Parts: sequence; structure tokens; C-alpha cells
Amino acid sequence: MSTMTINGRVAPLPDDLDAMLIDVVRSDLDLTGTKLVCGAGVCGACTVLVDGAPVASCLMPARAAAGKTVTTVEGIGAEKLHPVQKAFMVHDALQCGFCTPGFIVEAAAFHGHWRATRGTATPSRDEIGAVLSGHLCRCGAYDGIFSAVAAACSGQFDGGDIVSPRVEARDKVTGAAKYTVDIKHEGQLEGVILRSEIAHGKIGELDFAPALALPGVGAAISLLAEDRIVRFVGQPIAAVAARDRKTALAAIAAIRITSERLPSVIGLDEARKPNAPVVFEKADRKKAGNVSEGGGSPAPWKANIRGPSAAFSLKPKLVRSWVEGARQEKNPLLVEGVFRTGTQSHTCLEPHATVAHFEGDRLTVHASTQSVFHLMELIAKRYKLDHDKVRVIADHVGGGFGSKASLGAETTIAIDLARAANAPVRVAFDRHEELSVTGYRPASEVKIALLPSEQGGLKALSVTAYADTGAAINSTIATLARLIYPAEGKELADFDVISNLPPGAAFRGPGGPPMAFAVEQAIDEAALRMKVDPIELRKRWDTDPNRRRLYEWAQGLDVWRNRKSRAEQTGRYRRGVGVATGYWLYLWQPGSKVEVSVKGGRLIASTAIQDIGTGSRTVIANTVAREFGLEPHEVEVHIGDSNLLVGPGSGGSRTTASVVPPTLLAIQKLKAAIEKNAKRKPAPGSNAPWRELLAASPDLTASGVRPEDSRQMAPGVESPLKQVGILGWIFGKMMRWMSNMVIGAGVPSSVQVIEVEVDTWLGHVRVLNVHTGIAVGKIAAPALARSQAAGSVIQGIGYALYEAREIDGRTGDTLSGGLEDYRIPGIADTPVIDVHFDEAGFDHVLGGSVGIGEVATVPTSPAVANAIYNATGIRPMELPIRPDRLISALKGRAAA
Amino acid sequence: MTPAMTTEFRAAGTDLSERRRSGVSKGPLMDIVPASDISGMNWGADGTLRIGAYTTIAAIAADRGIAAAYPGIAASAQGLATPQIRHLATLGGNIAQRSRCWYFRNPHIACLKKGGTDCPARDGNHLYHVAFDLGPCVAPHPSTMAAALLAYDATIITYTRSGLSIPDVLGDGSNGTVDNLLQPGEMIRGIELPKPLEGERAFYKRAISRAYAEWPLVEICARAVVKDGVFQFIRLTAGGIAPVPLRLKAAEGAMQGKAANALNIEVAAKLAMSGAKPLPMTGYKLDLLEGVVRDVLEKLGT
Repeated sequence: MSTMTINGRVAPLPDDLDAMLIDVVRSDLDLTGTKLVCGAGVCGACTVLVDGAPVASCLMPARAAAGKTVTTVEGIGAEKLHPVQKAFMVHDALQCGFCTPGFIVEAAAFHGHWRATRGTATPSRDEIGAVLSGHLCRCGAYDGIFSAVAAACSGQFDGGDIVSPRVEARDKVTGAAKYTVDIKHEGQLEGVILRSEIAHGKIGELDFAPALALPGVGAAISLLAEDRIVRFVGQPIAAVAARDRKTALAAIAAIRITSERLPSVIGLDEARKPNAPVVFEKADRKKAGNVSEGGGSPAPWKANIRGPSAAFSLKPKLVRSWVEGARQEKNPLLVEGVFRTGTQSHTCLEPHATVAHFEGDRLTVHASTQSVFHLMELIAKRYKLDHDKVRVIADHVGGGFGSKASLGAETTIAIDLARAANAPVRVAFDRHEELSVTGYRPASEVKIALLPSEQGGLKALSVTAYADTGAAINSTIATLARLIYPAEGKELADFDVISNLPPGAAFRGPGGPPMAFAVEQAIDEAALRMKVDPIELRKRWDTDPNRRRLYEWAQGLDVWRNRKSRAEQTGRYRRGVGVATGYWLYLWQPGSKVEVSVKGGRLIASTAIQDIGTGSRTVIANTVAREFGLEPHEVEVHIGDSNLLVGPGSGGSRTTASVVPPTLLAIQKLKAAIEKNAKRKPAPGSNAPWRELLAASPDLTASGVRPEDSRQMAPGVESPLKQVGILGWIFGKMMRWMSNMVIGAGVPSSVQVIEVEVDTWLGHVRVLNVHTGIAVGKIAAPALARSQAAGSVIQGIGYALYEAREIDGRTGDTLSGGLEDYRIPGIADTPVIDVHFDEAGFDHVLGGSVGIGEVATVPTSPAVANAIYNATGIRPMELPIRPDRLISALKGRAAA
Repeated sequence: MTPAMTTEFRAAGTDLSERRRSGVSKGPLMDIVPASDISGMNWGADGTLRIGAYTTIAAIAADRGIAAAYPGIAASAQGLATPQIRHLATLGGNIAQRSRCWYFRNPHIACLKKGGTDCPARDGNHLYHVAFDLGPCVAPHPSTMAAALLAYDATIITYTRSGLSIPDVLGDGSNGTVDNLLQPGEMIRGIELPKPLEGERAFYKRAISRAYAEWPLVEICARAVVKDGVFQFIRLTAGGIAPVPLRLKAAEGAMQGKAANALNIEVAAKLAMSGAKPLPMTGYKLDLLEGVVRDVLEKLGT
């Protein structure tokens, strides 16, 4: 038997030709810091050092490591933290942390090489970008990674202690952080799903006998509904649990299955044709998925078209006649166009994964989820179990972005298999499953007409949106155009176009980016025709007080003041500057509770929230520390466990606004209790009175519940739903009753100014710099809020320039099922990002803070598009603005 | 035995491992033993170079001798894949790698290269496929190194044959069922590069949507000897646009003996498209081809 030396120990290597180095590292040696993400050598999460060189362990055969020295992330900082690890911690060069070990390993190797050859010189952004080009981070922590690698190479972290702004950063840079995919119980089986290879059909025979006959197979179960119908490629049919993935895959292949094909229809254009096969008959409509954060409202539904959802319209008939009149008169100010956006996949680096474990009548579920508490409730309801018999745990979650907000197939299948096999079962999707069946932001076709009034106001806005929702409903794109830019009339209509594609899902600001892509370009076009500065026009038409302050800031930026007109642009490379606005709703979850205790002199805060990379642990730690005059790392925070007090889901940007107020209330009560129980008051003039009181305090506990907001608001601050009158009031009540979310007063807002460079020969766009102004109230965790803001921009750049799910239009099969074909931004695509926080506007919220996660990504794609227009005179009508589309437009031809 | 069932050689496995994980490739496997005759580089006394097939892409990219004598080879090696792949992947494996077509790589879809009867990309989604439709399969050949070797008139040595040109090994695109014409059991030992020309320079450029780490939409390796502003010698090869690496002979002809001015370069860049047959979705690749050729000719001319 051959061996390798790994992190200083000798370890045997298997003879199996198909065993990869990562299998040995993660499964045999339990070194779970090394992560499997793409399985194709694209993302770098599995990077380890082999004889000092960083390699992709997911592709390297284990046999090839024979006689070699291997170092994993666990071996990088084994004795003391490596300078690169310290730098990542201090510069907050991470969010969910799932890609972090790979970055650390590669950056440590680079650091060693750099110091040996260049001393303490500082590497440039280009050098760092090239060396880390084989790593992908979906949260978009690249901005911090640039700073961290440069600082470590230049010797800034050679010695000394450090403090990270993110409380769990140490576990993430050392590989110690355990994610759901890393959980391994005694006797745990691996679950694999048999999925439909046809877009529409009826499954006949399903014979598990040959699968169950294989050694090591624990269970095989059917996942079919009573009608045995499958409606998209990838729909689960059956699942198997076996001792390892290889055996489970063999078992899946052994299942005997027959099926009958039914007529299918794929995509936005085909599904709208009059005689298109119908995906959901009336009786089956409840089986459709949901692409919104809340529940949907009723709408007409005929064949594959559900809509219009037009409740937010204002005088729509008048709008139609005004627009028609302007068209007849050839009014040059009437802006019309049809914009198209691509299908964006969430691409969480940790796949959807669940480990289910029954012990007697108790069920423990480790899940990669955006909502530990709500998931527990959903599981308890589905399996008719008492709440105290179900526990959902998620210590760390490798990204969510909206795709892990509900009870997913990975969870129900893991539970069903665990029950059937009478053993713990893990289900973890592979990358193809992740990029095909876990939801997506639907593609859309957005038809817009915008009519300024003779006086220079906004007279009419008409937006009609068709969303390519697959086997799902509830798209709200046009609807969102009601809550910004008041007009004399608005005609807003949303349609879901249902087809035999996997269901879409809520994705970071659902409906926001496609709405903004169309509306913000139409505003830009109107400004050009009216010969008004585009920011000036927004100031004129947009009444929101938060955004008006951001417009003032944007107008003062040098890059805006010095921008050139389109006519001044010549030559191969052209630079342009664009602006766009975005908003999102301020949401919070009623009933959210936080407990704060002092135990043995130490402060502990806890709630059943989860940290998907957004920093909820740190927000709580900072809030508690600030009130007691301590450092955040002195506060212990317990989250990620449904046994704790009810906490909010990580969706709708609601976590900060849901947990900071109850944390403050709990602190207030705890302080009173501590003072009451104190035997001795702190010395007069003590500079750390609470430190003294805490040290002497008996163990005490207090909790707070999220209070209603104050009704005392700053001038102009109101619920955005007020603009919609009684319907808005009803909508707000529905959200509260059905989805347990309150739409608060005040509008989280973002204004972005973006500079691009266009290579007109190669149709290539490089985003040079981004200025993002954000108004979300007081910033609870500044370094982390900055990371969120920068990451939102980077994800927005992906949406604008690179990302598109590609399908085969005949079979409905996803072609972009790997990370080389589904292209998310890399570190070298990252612009220089300037983040400006305007902290006013939310004083009516206890603590003054609301969420940032979604609003900061809404304006990026239209700002990039407006910048491209400024550079080239090409109005980008379709996302992503890839080289194929841009070069065709530059040559004056229609793109394919 | 279906084509997929013949024994596959495995060097570093960077392509093969992914195909085996997805289930596209399942047949018997044989690990190559990195013997000394297929590892490393040997410079001949006559200025030629032999590179063993087992040499890694990273080693080629970092070699100063190659960068000086064959800068197009070095730049191509530096420009492909990612650092973690280049540290593992070998030259032989790069030449003999299988298609990156998303239909070929999908285990549930039949295609010509997997024993199927037709090419699903041709009437399907072929956004990243060929613009020179030279055969029944419309996937571009994935080997960046092969396009660079073609530019240098390199020959390939196997255990049974030698002196093979790139077209001898990769064909002309008319056989859509294979990615190369190596016989069953035939393994690449190395490549031989003729002595470089006096005063030659080279550039490599690929058009992609992001900054790095993407299969090229179009890639060009260009060598030239430019004296007194005149192209004495020019060689242009292209990848990403045809089932095999292509020499752009019409564009070469247009620059040979001509001054390196904007007008001549523009004419040559347009001629790069000679013989193109784009598919409905790949017309843009010709615009990019023109742009990349212009780019490298300008760089060579200055």
C-alpha cells in the first residue's frame, strides 16, 4: 500500500483508481476544511498543496499523491495562525466561509513564494488577481481578499495578536468551521436522488429490487406524487441511501423504471404559444413553486400564463391612452423598449445539504438552511411531530441567497431515507443539481413605456413583465415599479410564464434587479432626451428622503462630475460612467426573540437565527458589546439551533432589523437585574463599570421580543405601501399574517455610480470602479456591512455581464450545470469599490438599523448598462451583456 | 465495445477525473508511469527542443528557455485553465483531452462522440461552438497547446510513430466521433519543436467574457518576424472556432511581405474569416476573430 505525508503525518492511500485525493482527505482522514464544490477544478475550494504546489484535489487521483507531501488548510496554521489567515480575519476577506480554506491555501503558497523572491514588497491587484484566478467566492469577498493578500505579503501580519471584525472568522480561516456537508454520525448513509431525464411524463414501473440487492444499500424510496407525473428534467423520482456515494449511485442506476413521455413545453416563448402543452392542469396548480419572498396574491391563470397581477396599477386605462397618444404624435420624449434579463442561479458554494438523524422519537436535522427555526416548524408540521421532538442545527451555512429559505427536497428526502433505513442519512446535492434544480432568478421580458409630462414631471409609466418561472409562480417585477418614482398614472402588469423547466425561487431582492434594469435605463434615456443630468432627473422624480440624500452624494463624486459625453468617445477602448437607483422593502419578523445572559461573569446572547455569511453572529455580538462597553469577541453568541428562542429567517434582509431591537430590550432588562443584584456599585469614575459589575454578577438571564416600531418618524419617512392606498394596507396585512413579515416605514435605498471600460474589438466590458451609496440606517457591524455591500455589487456585476443559465430548448435539460459553463465573477473581475453609508432615516427603529443584503444588488446591472451606453452609444437591451451580444450590437447586427 | 469502453490513459487526470465523476466516461483506466523519456525538456544542439508529454503546463509556462525561444508556447501555457490545473495538467493530456461541449459532458445526452447518431448541439444550443463548421460535430477542439504547437510546426512523437503533425494527430474535423486520431493504445511521448527563426516574436490572446479562467470564445497564437516595419514571416493559428486548431492562411498571406500598417492589418483581420461557416448562434465568433487577429498583428507590428 502506498502512502503520503499529510500535515506531517503518514497516511495510507487507497488502491481504487477512481478515488480522488479529496475523498481521502475529507472522508478517510476527516480533514473537512477542504471543501468539494464544483468537482471540476474550476472553483478552487478543494485546493491543497502537493509538494508545495497548490492543486485541485477534486481532480487529482489519490494514487498520484503516493510518496508526496500534502498540506491542507488544517496544516497551514496548525501551530499558530499563518500571516495570510490573520490578514483574512482582519480584512474581513470572507463571508460564508465555504471558499475560504481554498483561498487560504493558495494565498499561503503565494505568500511563501513572494516573500522568498520579493521580500516585503506589496503585490499589485493584477498580480493577486492572476494568482487567485482559479478560486471563486459567491459572496463576493474579493475586495477584502485583495487587501488581505497584499497586507500579508508586505509583512503587516508577521507577528502580534489580531482582532477580527467577524466573530467566527478564526474557525473559517483554519477550516475548523463545520458546515452541514461536514457532519458525520456513526453509521451514517449517503442519500442520492434518481431524477427525471424527461421534461414531462408519467412514471410507470419503479422496481427497487435490483437496487436493494446491492451490498451496502440501506433503503430505496419513491418520491412520486399520486399521479406519478414529472414536470421538469431533474424532478426527483426516487432516492437511495447506501454506505457511500459510489454505492448509492450504482443503486440508482440499478432501479428499473419505465416512463411515458407527455408533450412538454420549454421556456418563455414556447409556453406563450396558443396551442402549447399545458404544464399544470387546474387541479395541479398547488404543486407550482414560489419565486417570491412572501406568499402570492390571487391572479387569473390561463393555460401556462398566470396574470396579470396588476393590483399596484394607478389609472392604467388613462396611462394606455396617454402612451398611445404620445406614440401617435411621435412625442420624442416617449421612451419605449423591451428589455430581457437572463436566468441567474444562486450558486451557493455549499450545496443544499441535510443530515437527518432519528434517536428514538427525536429527530435531529443538520441543514444548510436560511431559517433554522422555521425549518423546524415546517418539519414538525409535515411529519406530525411535536416541536420539542425536532431540532434543526446549522452552525455555519455556505451561502443561501434565497434558495435555502424553505423546506427543500434535500431535507424531506434525508428524513424519509433516515426513517426507511433506520440510520442517519446525509443528502448533499452535486454541482449539476445545484445549478439546475435548486431554484433561480427567472429570466424575464420587460416591456416598458415611460412618458414625461410637458412640465418635466413623470406623467406615465407602463411596465409589463413576463417571467420565465418554470414550474413556479408569483413573480413580481412590474409591481415593484409602483413604489418608486410617483407618476400621474402607472400601468403595471406581472405575468408568470410556466413551462417544463425546474421551478424558480426567491433570489436576493426577487423581481428588483430586472425591474431596475428596465426602469433605470428608461430613466437614463429620458434624461438624455430631456437634456437633463440623469441624477438631477432622479432628484426631480424621486421623492424618497433617503435617496435624495444619496443623490446629493452621487452628484459630488469626481467620476460623475468629470464624465465625458458619448460623443467624446473614440478608439478601441472607451470609458463610460452610469448611474442607477435601487430600493428594497424594510422587512422585520414579528415575534423574534433574543436572550442575553450573564453566566460565570461572561455575557452570552442567543437566538435561533443562522449566519449564512451575512454576519448575524457579529451583529448580535457587536450590539451586546457596545451596550456593556466590551469588545465583541468577549460576548459569546449562540445561534444556528432551533432549540434556542425563536429567531428570524435570513431572507428579505430582515435579520438585523429583527434581532437588534429585542437584543437591546433584553440588555435593558439584564442590566437592571445585574444592578439590582449587585452587592457593590462600581468605583466612581470607573472606565469599565459594566466589566466590574459583570465580573461580580450572579448568573442572570433576560430576554426581549421584537417590539413594534415607533410611530415618530422623520419628515417624509413612511411605509412605501402608503403610496398604494387601501390595497397597500391589505398587502401589508397579508404579508404579516401569511408570511410573518412586517413591511416597515422607510425605504432602504442604494444609488450606484459605475465606470466601465469597453473593448470595442472584443465586446469585453471591464468594470473599473463602483461607488455605492447605501441608506439602511445605522450600521450595526461596519466591516461586515461593507463586505455585504461590496459582495452585492460583485453579484450584480455577475448578473450584468456573465451569468446565464443555458438550457437545451428541446429537452429542457440544463446545459450550464457546471461552474465552467455557469460563470460567476472571479477576483480579477472585481472593480475598485467605494462604499458610502448614509446612516440616517431609521430612527423609528429601535437601534436604528435595517437590512442591507438585497438593496445593494438592485441597481448594479442598470448602472453598468447606462455606463456602457455612455461609452459606446449601445443601449444594452439584454442581460447578461456578454461579448457575443455586445460585439453584435457594436457591429449593428442582431445577436443570436 | 463502445468507444467509451476502450482503455483510457491517465496522466494527471484533470480532464478524465471530471468525466468519470459525472459518469460520462466509465471504461478501463491505465495510469501512465512518468518514465524519464516522457518527462522534462531536452534542447538539441541544433536549437530544437523536445518536451516530454508528461511535462506539466506550469513547467512549460515557467520555463525561461521556452519563453525566449518559443514565446507563443509559453504564453499559451500561461493563459490556459487555472494555476491549480496548470500545476497538474500535462502537455500530452492537453493535446489528447476530450471535448468540452456541454452536450458531450452531460451523461444523459447522446452525441456523436459517445456512440450516438447525431450532434445535439447542431440544432440545439451551440452558443460556444464552432464558427468554422468543418464536420458533423460542432464542438471546438479544446486544446490551447495544440493551436500553439501548430503555429510552431511542432511534431508529435508517440510510442509507435513519430514526425506527426498536429493535423496528423487531430485530423481535419471531418470525423466527428473522436477528438484525435491516435490509435487505440497509442500514447503521446512528447513533442519536437524546430529551431525558432532569427528575430521572431509571438503573442497569444484569447477572447473571453471575464478576466481569466474561461474556455476561449476565440484564441490566437501568432508568430512573426518583423523587420523595418515589414512582416518577413507570419504565422497565425486559431482555437475555439473549429473542430481542430486552424491555420489562418489567408490572413497570413495578406501580411506576408507587407508593412505593419493599420490598413494592411485590417485587411488581414477580415481575411481571417475566410472559409468560415458560422452556425446560427456563432456568428459573433467571427467578429471576435477579426478583433483578436487585429490585436495580435498590431502588437507584432509595433
